[in-house]
Amino acid sequence: MEILRNLWRRKLRTTLTVSGIVMGIFALTTMGSLAEHFNVLLGGGITYYGGSIQVTDDKSNGGFGAGAMSLDTLQKIQQVDGVLAAGPAVGTSAKPGSVSTVSFGVPDYIMNFDATTTAHSPFKISVASGAFPNDASRFQVTLGSTLASEFRKHVGDTIMLPVRPKDATSDFINHRFTVIGVLDQTLTAPDNGAYVSLHDAQMLLGESLPAALRGTVNPYQLITSVVAYGRPGVNLDALATRITAVVPGVKATKPSDLVSSFKSGGAIFTFMTTAAALLALIIGGLSVVNTMIMSVTERTREIGLKKAIGAKTRNILSEFVAESTAMGLIGGLIGFLLGMLMTFLLNNGDPSGGLFLITPRLTLIALVFAVALGAGAGVIPAMRAARMDPVTALRAQ
Amino acid sequence: MATIKTLGLSKTYGTGESMVKALDGVDLTIEQGEFLAIVGRSGSGKTTMLDCMGLLMRPSSGAVIVDGTDASTLNDGQRAELRSKRIGFIFQEFNLLPTMSAMENILLPLRYSGGDRKAARIRAEGFLEEVGLAKRANHRPTQMSGGEQQRVAIARSLINEPTLVLGDEPMGEVDTDTANALLEFMRRINAERRVSFVIVTHDLDLAARTDRVIRLRDGHVISDERPSRQLVQRPAAAAAA
Repeated sequence: MEILRNLWRRKLRTTLTVSGIVMGIFALTTMGSLAEHFNVLLGGGITYYGGSIQVTDDKSNGGFGAGAMSLDTLQKIQQVDGVLAAGPAVGTSAKPGSVSTVSFGVPDYIMNFDATTTAHSPFKISVASGAFPNDASRFQVTLGSTLASEFRKHVGDTIMLPVRPKDATSDFINHRFTVIGVLDQTLTAPDNGAYVSLHDAQMLLGESLPAALRGTVNPYQLITSVVAYGRPGVNLDALATRITAVVPGVKATKPSDLVSSFKSGGAIFTFMTTAAALLALIIGGLSVVNTMIMSVTERTREIGLKKAIGAKTRNILSEFVAESTAMGLIGGLIGFLLGMLMTFLLNNGDPSGGLFLITPRLTLIALVFAVALGAGAGVIPAMRAARMDPVTALRAQ
Repeated sequence: MATIKTLGLSKTYGTGESMVKALDGVDLTIEQGEFLAIVGRSGSGKTTMLDCMGLLMRPSSGAVIVDGTDASTLNDGQRAELRSKRIGFIFQEFNLLPTMSAMENILLPLRYSGGDRKAARIRAEGFLEEVGLAKRANHRPTQMSGGEQQRVAIARSLINEPTLVLGDEPMGEVDTDTANALLEFMRRINAERRVSFVIVTHDLDLAARTDRVIRLRDGHVISDERPSRQLVQRPAAAAAA
């Protein structure tokens, strides 16, 4: 209580100092929540891609940029020594033609659900309600949590897929799908997915081809990639190299290459958070140091009195550090709450669910950082106070 | 046992030609329950004497022995500990903390001495009652007169039940009536609890109403007298008239 009373003696100065910390922690919270969102997103990617091998045709760049390949290739990959299981992956865009000049996340997609291979994936997805489609499913879809909330769909509702773009051409085709399930939130790629049977995914892939090509290919013989899993103990990078060598016309990407790529993406966001923390440190820290030095100067006689009545060096030190820590805590709490409010408002206005994620870890980091900032910045002024000569301090004017 | 004893106490400030000897070999013994004044002109060394006796300042040479403990052998932390438990201070300008109530100011020394807070609170209530400030316990210093503030400061000096209270011009900021009331309160505490009081003052009338007057000049004790009872009574009688 006395700490707060002392801080409130100089209302304007304390308010300005706390504002400095508020700004810093606000920046740390918003930047940090952005980084947390992408860390989770990339973490999911690392788990998924680190435990499987993505095989595409040898002219594509892999992953979501894969071109079409023949279903026959799947059998050849399944026969490669060391492969435990391999399943087809057929993906198309859920919102073809949508304009996204800046995208930090995974685009909405439609993908076949392959129960056999999914069982081997280290990245598990589960339904919050309903079920996954099976091979016999037709025009049934299980939606990722973000897609479901964006279109406000629940089990039993219907949804037109792919979503018709505003400037759709006359040959655009989509179908009414019944929602049979909604996935649990993963905070990563599956949240933006719509899972259908292989048959339906192939149909949609065929329909996504330019009109001139549609009649020339059988879409039910096409897949966009193969996901392969290795037997226990098999080195997946070596297995990827072997698949590329053994199966003609395919390129198996080494899991370690994909993981490194994800990690380098994560480093950018870690840098952003660190920069925000540094900003907080400079603005907040210097304000606290300045305020506490002024406070010590103004309260010289008080320090002298306290020493006269028995305060030891550590008592004075801890009293002043407690005050600066309180400023850090107050500024941290306000800054964090403002950051939380801001991210909530921004996420709320974003149909895809938003880019910001406040995690318990971020909460802890922001508050601990604010407290440590206050305490650390208060140490030097507090040392000055604690080392004062009691006689000089008592008679200061 | 003496409450406080100084042996060959010397203190010099500065070096070379600018060196000043504030105290020069002062030997002094103050027994338990004494009520005395240290007087002298400005620069006589009386404030330095008070600072050394209060363990706020280390002498250049000599020793200060508080209740049998030679303070020169103690480190700063130990001196602070001894100070908090054995010595109370009263200052000319009261030095109450403006953010605290009267009660909180009185209990402040407990924070550093670590005494029984509950018992101290009862003592503090007793002091406030005794000095007529029972209803002002929750008032801040800015809401009190100078005399009231000094009464709170005296209560603060006594809260840890010290054996010695040092006053630095304690009546310097209050009017005569208030000074008389404060002196009366201190004398009562002195008589009832056998707490020794040492008051540094310019005020010779005030000094004359103590039991012993020590005069300092240029860092030396030039006289150490016990005013007669008649002398002690005279200023009070004059004030009453």
